[in-house]
Amino acid sequence: MLAMEFGRILMECGASARIVEEYVIRVAEGLGAKRVDLRVGYASLAITVGISDSGITRMRKVGHLGVNQRLDQGLRQLVRRLETEKLSLDVTEAELARLVKETPRHPGWLVDLAVGLACASFSRLLDVDWQAFLPVFGAAAIGQFVRRQLLMRHVNVFIVATVVAFLASFISGLASRWWLSGTVDRAMVSAVLLLVPGVPALNAQYDVMGGHPTLGNARAVWVGTILIFLAIGVWLSQMVLGEGL
Amino acid sequence: MDYSKVLHQTLFGGLAAMGFGVLFNMYRRHLLWCGLAGGLALGVRTIGLQLGWSLEAASFAAALTVGSVVQIFQERIGVSRNILDVAGCIPMVPGLFATKAILGFFALTAPVPKNPDETLIVSVEYFLRVAFTVGAIGTGLAIPSLMLKVLAGKK
Repeated sequence: MLAMEFGRILMECGASARIVEEYVIRVAEGLGAKRVDLRVGYASLAITVGISDSGITRMRKVGHLGVNQRLDQGLRQLVRRLETEKLSLDVTEAELARLVKETPRHPGWLVDLAVGLACASFSRLLDVDWQAFLPVFGAAAIGQFVRRQLLMRHVNVFIVATVVAFLASFISGLASRWWLSGTVDRAMVSAVLLLVPGVPALNAQYDVMGGHPTLGNARAVWVGTILIFLAIGVWLSQMVLGEGL
Repeated sequence: MDYSKVLHQTLFGGLAAMGFGVLFNMYRRHLLWCGLAGGLALGVRTIGLQLGWSLEAASFAAALTVGSVVQIFQERIGVSRNILDVAGCIPMVPGLFATKAILGFFALTAPVPKNPDETLIVSVEYFLRVAFTVGAIGTGLAIPSLMLKVLAGKK
């Protein structure tokens, strides 16, 4: 069952199906399984582990799929230790619990600023003028701050996407217009690029190519829906500001 | 070739990748590598675009380069492969086109759409570009690791 926990957490950290499968099998075999069959779904994992002649089948629910690379990396290291040091079940279980509890996250304010910088850099990549650089930076940082607060309160991710997209593009549009930017329309979109789900989009393709078309499709639909809700937010703020693309 | 443009895109591509690296909770010591991957991606893509390639072709070349380079250096850096190259390629995901395409589709369903023919063509064009570019990035990234598997299998 421990192997399933690894799989679940890996998925919630943003791993592709191939990685989840590889590591779950390695954990199960490291703990003595003879044969492992795994099904990776969008919201659940199912596994059948064969030990000598008998086998057991279990299913595990998977939570919201985010991205957390430190935890992802910690898990991979633990799997390698399990194989080389032949850790026992209890030790591995304790180590896993410790990893989940203790893996640090960057402080919230730092993430807000970093996301602001990322979106401001995006605006430069999209040929937005320098006048809009600071507005995009500020709007995206505020957007990320609001996103963090809303997600902590368990607001639906799609609704969060619309709210944050509206807010960020509104602030960015208003501020860059005040700064006499000539590219207000693109500045408004640059500030919401923090919401574009790049990792799931690439994972969707990995999964389809790697023999998991169901999961890949589920991810693609999720990405598409987020984009639609994002666009609604931008559209609303364009209406308010009277700015067209 | 406009070298200042290449440099500019490389710099901001790197910054964008680092910003996203923080969001993805990467280790601080890996952020620099993440920035280098992002810079490399945007650098190659910009050179490709200036050589007259399409956005899709240039993105494919960039993803292939980043995937291969990360594959070579991953052991020295100590980062799992698909973490670094995905973070590096995130700045190439065409979010602007995606948003514009959907907004264009919204505009078509207005009670009295303005220039519906033109809007339709432009929106479909953006939509296809998003699909093909994301596809090009994903394929470009997948090829180096798949090739390595083939080579490893031969040994």
